[in-house]
Amino acid sequence: MARRHLDRVILLGFAVLAVLLYISTASYPGIAQKTSALYVRFLAVSMGILSIVQLGFSMFRDHDTGRLELTDHWPRFIGLLAALIVFALVFEHAGFYLSAAVFIPVMALLLGYRNYPVIALTTAGVLGFVYLVFEKLLSVNLPGMAL
Amino acid sequence: MFSHVMAVLQPYSILTIIIGTVAGVAIGGMPGLTATMAVGLLVPFTYTMDPALGLMLLGGIYCGAMYGGSIPAILLNTPGTPAAVATAIEGFPMSRKGKAGLALKVSVIASFTGGVFSVFILLLFAPMLARQALHFGPPENFLLALMGLAGIVSIADENSSLIKALIAGLLGMIIAIVGTDDMSGSLRYTMGYVELVDGINFMPALIGLFSMIQMLELAGLRRTHKIDMSALHKKQKSEPLPKGIFKFIALGAGTGTVIGVLPGEGATIAAFISYNVSKRISKLKELFGKGNPEGIAAAEAGNNGCVGGSLVPTLTLGIPGNSVAAALMGAFIIQGMIPGPDLFTQYADKTYPFILSMFIANGVFLIVGLTVAPYLARIALIPPAIMVPVVATFAVLGSYALNNAIFDVYMMIAFAGFGLILKKLGYSLEALILGLILGPIAEGGFSQGMIMGKGSPWIFFESGIAKVMWVLIILLLVPPLYSYWKNVAMVKAPPKEALDDLDSLNEPE
Repeated sequence: MARRHLDRVILLGFAVLAVLLYISTASYPGIAQKTSALYVRFLAVSMGILSIVQLGFSMFRDHDTGRLELTDHWPRFIGLLAALIVFALVFEHAGFYLSAAVFIPVMALLLGYRNYPVIALTTAGVLGFVYLVFEKLLSVNLPGMAL
Repeated sequence: MFSHVMAVLQPYSILTIIIGTVAGVAIGGMPGLTATMAVGLLVPFTYTMDPALGLMLLGGIYCGAMYGGSIPAILLNTPGTPAAVATAIEGFPMSRKGKAGLALKVSVIASFTGGVFSVFILLLFAPMLARQALHFGPPENFLLALMGLAGIVSIADENSSLIKALIAGLLGMIIAIVGTDDMSGSLRYTMGYVELVDGINFMPALIGLFSMIQMLELAGLRRTHKIDMSALHKKQKSEPLPKGIFKFIALGAGTGTVIGVLPGEGATIAAFISYNVSKRISKLKELFGKGNPEGIAAAEAGNNGCVGGSLVPTLTLGIPGNSVAAALMGAFIIQGMIPGPDLFTQYADKTYPFILSMFIANGVFLIVGLTVAPYLARIALIPPAIMVPVVATFAVLGSYALNNAIFDVYMMIAFAGFGLILKKLGYSLEALILGLILGPIAEGGFSQGMIMGKGSPWIFFESGIAKVMWVLIILLLVPPLYSYWKNVAMVKAPPKEALDDLDSLNEPE
């Protein structure tokens, strides 16, 4: 998608958000009408005005036709995002050490690194560091751990 | 004060400071990793630690990382942190001439001096400023938050336009209203999620915006730039410090501390302003860009001077001086220590040891820098494919650790994904996080102020302190708005000289 088009979509989204936010304050109960609701309305109006002004600048001044390059390497980018979600899902049940012991080498391989001894040493180093420094030395109570 | 000094001199405290500082130097030395990222990642882990020790660890990381960025900047022309870019301009040419030893020595001594000076200023002025905060009521608190948000205007730079920086700040404030409304006790915008009842925790947001985004960017790079390692293999001679160098160190230390105090101004700006001023006043102007130690001295004293300076408004008024200070403020808040006068009275046994520990942290990196700096430069050679999974592991763990909630991990990932799009479109993430932190303070102050004023907004202009604060807000806003307006005007109507230059460029050779 062209950069300017996405920019406009986002700005339009912000403007819509501002309108919805403003409307929602009507349902604020009692005392909140004279306090929080005023504050939220101020935010909504400011957001709406700035988004529209910026949208105007974008429509009339921005002639950049370049694409928005979020990343140079989509498989790795998506791979990291997906691996993060899987890691988060798994480590609550399997514990930190086991899931990290899988996540780190898999990610390193996914990112194209093939020096296996370094991958193994890094994984062991991170787990050892977390165990010794955080758990033992600094007495940090790490969640979901089963070693 | 003696008991606070003794608390810092305990073996356990010293060990914690050393670990934090050395880790900070190492993190700062890795391109792509920043002090904000390191402090943000580790804040959740300090939750279960002794509060004073946790803060000392983070303080050590802050000091160490600010210095660490200069090592690969000098030896490999690869600044470890954005604040070390100015150092690379002078440091690497010196390394190529076989003067890396001198460059590293100037860098560490300047960093040490700048750091110690700024922490001294913090120790001297923070309690005084905090005492003033005792006179603050809700209207003043609202104005305080406005003052912090005024920093958004100065965040805007060539990468993020003023309007986009303001939109990002407002977005942060809007995100901050999710949760329970303190005035009515009703739930707002929680969409049925129990996890949102207490609002959106800013730590997962901070980790997502400042740590995970960098990892996503690194992971998506097709190829990393080749690092020039020639200076590492060059024979380096040992030289004494150049005469008059302390003038530039003092300049950087003063500039960095003052800039650090201003909300929204970070170490990168401090380093560049110090560097540019030193260039202007130097008698060796022609050496700038070719390896002038005076430039390194000013830039390094400048970025380390920012450390103590940025903590002055953070600890006293709850306005973070920069993004690292914002992350550090998170560490205070999760321990139940709300920035303000209480930090220097009720929690003095934690706050003062934290401040004093930064003197030791500066000493630790001075020793590290003078002894093993050339070896530490190799940290910059760690491939991103190894760095990314390690940092991502800590990001997930850190986001989860605070509330033992998987929801926070998803929030972190969501902030990273959406934040990356915003960043690429030119929105300021610093402004977003500033809005997220200051939003609740602004709302609380505004709502309570309106009740006090019986619905009249004049309450925000009544007290003497409020009037002074309005003047300060205007003073904070006018210079950046003026320079923004000037830039816009210049774009509209370029000066005649610039047009002439353009014409000469278009002429065939």
